[in-house]
Amino acid sequence: MTDIPRDVPQPSALPEAVAPPTSTDSLPAMQLTGLVKHFGQKVAVAGLDLTVPTGSFYGLVGPNGAGKTTTLSMATGLLRPDAGTARIHGVDVWTQPVEAKKLIGNLADGVRLFDRLTGEQLVTYTGMMFGLSRDEVGARTADLLRIMDLTEAAGTPVVDYSAGMTKKVALACALVHAPRLLVLDEPFESVDPVSAANIEDILRGYTASGGTVIVSSHSMDLVQRMCDHVAVIAQGRLLASGTVDEVRGAQTLQDRFVELVGGRHHAEGPQWLRQS
Amino acid sequence: MVATVLRIRFRVLGNTLSRSPMQLIGFIVGVIGAVWMLFLAGVGFFFVGTLDLDIARAVITAAGAVLTLGWVVGPIFAAGIDTTLDPAKLAPFPMTTRQMMVAITAGGLTGVPGITTAIGSLAVFLVWARYPVAAVAAVVCVPLGVVICVVASRAVAALAAGIGGGRRTREIVGLVGFTLVIFASPLFIGITNALVSASEQGVQLQAVVAGLSWTPIAAAWAVPGDLAAGSWITGLLKLVIAAATLATLWLLWQRSLAASLVGPPSRVATRRRSGSLGWFGVMPSNPVGATWARSLTSWTRDFRYLRQLLLIPFAPVLVLVYSRGDLDGPFFAASGLLVGFFAGILAYTDVSYDGTAFATVLQTGIRGRADRLGRMLGSATVSIPLVLLADVVTLAIVGKWELLPAVIGGSMGLTLVGLGVSAVSSALLVVPTPAPGDSPFKRVPGSTFTMFLAFVLCWALVAVLALPAVIPAVLAIFAGATGAGWVSLAIGLVWGSIVFAGGVLIGGTRFDASAPRLLAQLRMFQGA
Repeated sequence: MTDIPRDVPQPSALPEAVAPPTSTDSLPAMQLTGLVKHFGQKVAVAGLDLTVPTGSFYGLVGPNGAGKTTTLSMATGLLRPDAGTARIHGVDVWTQPVEAKKLIGNLADGVRLFDRLTGEQLVTYTGMMFGLSRDEVGARTADLLRIMDLTEAAGTPVVDYSAGMTKKVALACALVHAPRLLVLDEPFESVDPVSAANIEDILRGYTASGGTVIVSSHSMDLVQRMCDHVAVIAQGRLLASGTVDEVRGAQTLQDRFVELVGGRHHAEGPQWLRQS
Repeated sequence: MVATVLRIRFRVLGNTLSRSPMQLIGFIVGVIGAVWMLFLAGVGFFFVGTLDLDIARAVITAAGAVLTLGWVVGPIFAAGIDTTLDPAKLAPFPMTTRQMMVAITAGGLTGVPGITTAIGSLAVFLVWARYPVAAVAAVVCVPLGVVICVVASRAVAALAAGIGGGRRTREIVGLVGFTLVIFASPLFIGITNALVSASEQGVQLQAVVAGLSWTPIAAAWAVPGDLAAGSWITGLLKLVIAAATLATLWLLWQRSLAASLVGPPSRVATRRRSGSLGWFGVMPSNPVGATWARSLTSWTRDFRYLRQLLLIPFAPVLVLVYSRGDLDGPFFAASGLLVGFFAGILAYTDVSYDGTAFATVLQTGIRGRADRLGRMLGSATVSIPLVLLADVVTLAIVGKWELLPAVIGGSMGLTLVGLGVSAVSSALLVVPTPAPGDSPFKRVPGSTFTMFLAFVLCWALVAVLALPAVIPAVLAIFAGATGAGWVSLAIGLVWGSIVFAGGVLIGGTRFDASAPRLLAQLRMFQGA
């Protein structure tokens, strides 16, 4: 971890904390090639290719069960693909996992945290796991807790946090080692609007300084507003990808998404459900 | 309504078994065990029926008491209570608390243990067939006794889960209850043993069983015998006691259930001062230190880990009970070895307790070797002092200090070998565990027979690998070759450390390869 500046602790130090540019910058932040995953008979991801340019704010959208979480798990080294490769800034996730994971900050969906630890302990633990020096861990933890409005709750076990606070502390853990790529699976689920706006600011500052963000979301409005790139996934396949304007054309992203994915029907619901 | 709920229960069982062949095998093994027990009960009661009435009464009363205790204690040691019909799952449906309790009781009666108990208890009619009055009374009392079993197990579990306000209080109450229940069985065995030996010395065993028959656990089973013997008044009084037992259990259960349904456990935050990092402030800031600190925090604060540590005092008590309180013989002096055996292997599936939080570990790209070392150091930091304490305390009780090197050598050898084996096994194997804060009585779905086999295999492996340290220790303790104790101490520490280091290295390589698979399995358990 020699590539991390030692003079970090400043207020809102995140953009400065991003690792300096290296020779791999010409490579895409994430490149997925032919990813395949089966669960028994079911094909979750069916040969997916995706390129995420460095510095982009990339939205990943798709209906329930489209394979978003499975794809992101394989791209971040949490789930071994049946076939295909995932490269982060040119580093193969499955042949050089240790090097690749140092580049990734990951907020996974549907997993627990070590919730018996306090928020402060959890962020410290994650920093220590990445081998940061003690002073650095302390300073970064304090910064992150302040940015996430968790300073008050720093000494409370994460199990006693609300759902939104839990998301925020997980995000703090994803940021603590100053990754070059942030992979956020449903980061805004159950986060209150004020915290969401704060998080959005942090992420914008992060991409402005050269970091790359990938978010998966169900909210088309949010993706259209925040992201500059978007990929639409359904049934484990990539239906469309590119800049948000390219993908949506003249329509809203919501309408374009429904058009791509299908399955919308205009029924009034069954007779017995009508109240009058 | 109750019938609908029962149909759902069997449908869930059917679906689970048809989906997973290993669970089907486990289920079949359970059924075979149940049939075997029924066979034993049938044969036993047939012969008891040919004996004297007084003996038959005593046997049935004692058997009833054991059965009732078994229902309360069993879930902890065996599979736990079947939570297919969990009150929390039934709560959204329009049913009263009473209907819910009837449904859960019926569900308990129709599971494998329930059916076994019901059929097995019919065997008492083999005895009472010769006494028409008793047979008539048994028609009432046997169902009463069986229902008491089921309701008692559910009521105790609900109480253990539902008392108190805050999370911490509930967990502490759960732990205390768990301790009492765990130690109830060796105490019960101890009392029985004491009674048997007392009866050999001329004390009337039947008098003791007669006393037991007045207690809630045996009253229902004692009534027919009293009537057969013509003691109508005592028989009726015991019937009243049994009925009152059922009513009291039912009310307690109802209260805790009603309270837990409308007022789910509240979030009373326990706080630390910010800046207080606990072990994280002490350990070196690297992956091994981080894992060590987290593991140690779990061992000292997570009640699922603390429950495992209860095994450590349990071991000497167990030895004491089975040796019938004999402090002078070599067995109690050697109980430190049993403690070491239990303590080392506690972490044999350490990753399981992470649950899906294991994703955090995996995300950091920690090398397997560092993860193994951190986890085993965490386990060792707790278990080694406790084992040494157990060694010293047991030897202080028997006053045989000359055995200290042998006991420490043997127990440390077992502990270190156990840690080494755990370092490998926990990189290969995860089992379903309760989520942190769950009731210890709750059954965790998804356990399979293979996991049980793996556990037995780990124990066997520890026993074999630790032989170089254990053999000299045993020679010293049982054969009086005190000098062998020093050999045991040297071998235990050196060989134990070698196995520990080897376990960390081998486990580390296995972990690097298998960690994503472990996470996938843990996700599946969480979804199950």
